[in-house]
Amino acid sequence: MALLEVEGLTRHFGGLRAVADLSFALREGEILGLIGPNGAGKTTVFHLVTGFLRPSAGEIRLAGRSLVGLRPHAVARRGIARTFQIVKPFPGLTVKENVALAAFLRHRARRDAEAAAAEVLERLELSHRSGTLASQLNLMDQKRLEMAKALATRPRVLLLDEPMGGLNPAEVDVASGMVERIREGGVAVILVEHVMKAIMRISDRVLVVNQGQKIAEGPPAAVVQEPAVLAAYFGKRVA
Amino acid sequence: MTRQLAPWLAGALLLAAVPALVESPFAIHVCILVLMWTALGAAWNLLGGFAGQVSFGHASLFGVGAYTTIILYLRAGVAPWWGMPAGGLAAALVSLPVGLLCFRLRGPYFSLATLAVSELVKLVALNWESVTNGPVGYLITALPPLRLFGHAVDWESKTPFYVVAAALALAALAATALLRRARLGAYLVAIREDEEAAEAVGIDTVRAKVLTLALSAFVAGTAGGFYAFYFRYVDPDAVLGLSLSMEMVFIAVVGGLGTVGGPLVGAVFLTTVGEAVRERFPSGHLVFYGLFMMLVIRFLPEGIWGRARRLATGLQERALRHGAA
Ligand SMILES: Nc1ncnc2c1ncn2[C@@H]1O[C@H](COP(=O)(O)OP(=O)(O)OP(=O)(O)O)[C@@H](O)[C@H]1O
Ligand SMILES: [Mg+2]
Repeated sequence: MALLEVEGLTRHFGGLRAVADLSFALREGEILGLIGPNGAGKTTVFHLVTGFLRPSAGEIRLAGRSLVGLRPHAVARRGIARTFQIVKPFPGLTVKENVALAAFLRHRARRDAEAAAAEVLERLELSHRSGTLASQLNLMDQKRLEMAKALATRPRVLLLDEPMGGLNPAEVDVASGMVERIREGGVAVILVEHVMKAIMRISDRVLVVNQGQKIAEGPPAAVVQEPAVLAAYFGKRVA
Repeated sequence: MTRQLAPWLAGALLLAAVPALVESPFAIHVCILVLMWTALGAAWNLLGGFAGQVSFGHASLFGVGAYTTIILYLRAGVAPWWGMPAGGLAAALVSLPVGLLCFRLRGPYFSLATLAVSELVKLVALNWESVTNGPVGYLITALPPLRLFGHAVDWESKTPFYVVAAALALAALAATALLRRARLGAYLVAIREDEEAAEAVGIDTVRAKVLTLALSAFVAGTAGGFYAFYFRYVDPDAVLGLSLSMEMVFIAVVGGLGTVGGPLVGAVFLTTVGEAVRERFPSGHLVFYGLFMMLVIRFLPEGIWGRARRLATGLQERALRHGAA
């Protein structure tokens, strides 16, 4: 049984089908790339899985248990963490306070939560920013903080929504390495990303969506050769 | 630990000394008002200052407490000192369904909903005559006798009320300080900063807000009970008016949102400057409150207490640096 199973997932916005009858699975310890042109429905999939939006139809299961109808905090408690495409720090708090708030999910005492936060910051090489206000971080560190908060909830599944958007090539390499280490720590990852270099390098499998529908799925090198992908993905972006 | 307790002990001692030092009943009356307003500002601050949920309807919680206390006494003979916590409980109970309904709304919509609910509560008080006596309200003509430490308490003196008000204000401020250090307090700050991000890291935002509202309601309701006990008179205009809600907001904002000591400063400000304005412009004082709050939010967003604290910490740090050099 896969860790996360999605079956027939559908979401309408009025007349628009943002996600249409989408099925896929995420295995234990896997990095699944989720790609597609702008507006394909990737972020909507994340909103649906994490309870920020309700599906119009379909089933989502984590380790066999349905998540449909749960509010976001309950999904997080079950073990799915996410980052936001447009980062959502607690701007008026320090980096450490931001992460400690997330660590409270698994630690009752403030001291334990703070220790767990310090450990996550160490892992993401953000310790030197512990005392900085989240609102004053540069883009790379904002993206790191976003990941640190998600990791501090000790997830089994991590959904990353464009963690590398806006980063320069050197920073993309650093971020890719970070995602790989997260996976080595036993967390399965779904990575939404437009930076193809990163997707190709670290994904075990890639899922391509267009207009809410799956158009291809498989190993990264094979998927990007498929005519449907070339047409949908590059056709739209280049034109 | 001792460093944290020291200001509380000093404050409690100072409060205890007031009745011995102050002779004039009017001055004691002013102190009682300040303390009652401190408790109310603190109650509002729990929800508005920490969780950023701006309520314009806290008068209804105060009113429920006041009515509960006075009705329990006049209809069932329950002494007001028991009626006060009962009033707090009643307000907390009323707040639960209100919170579950209103917290589905965010930002200004939440604030408008609290306004609507409090007008509704006022309408109920005006029209449910069999319970509330309608617009006439209730009047206590004599308080029940009470013996403490072998002495009969003199209800014509202001001192016993002063003691109760001081205990109430201290308890409200202590509750604020405790909340600030507790996990719930951290959750509220997260909610104030970004509600969706808070949910994403596993914080049950609705539960946290409903719990805090209930705590806030308990304090406001108990203060309402105290009002009935002290003024011996309750009617819809006195305890359910919109201006009461606004005054609670005013105290918290002027004193400093999300601070522990802010409500005390705000209450002093309201009972002195606010009262003076109210006397001169009986119908225009809400306009003054509004204008003044706008000025504070623009030029002193951390409030008087917040700014003073920051200045004090700055001075302390500078002194330390000089000492070290
Ligand atoms: N709350 C909403 N209400 C109405 N339409 C929405 C809403 N959220 C998303 N959409 C629409 O659904 C479609 C999918 O959007 P989504 O944000 O999921 O795309 P995406 O794949 O994440 O795109 P990008 O790569 O630009 O981030 C778009 O057409 C978008 O306009
Ligand atoms: Mg997106």
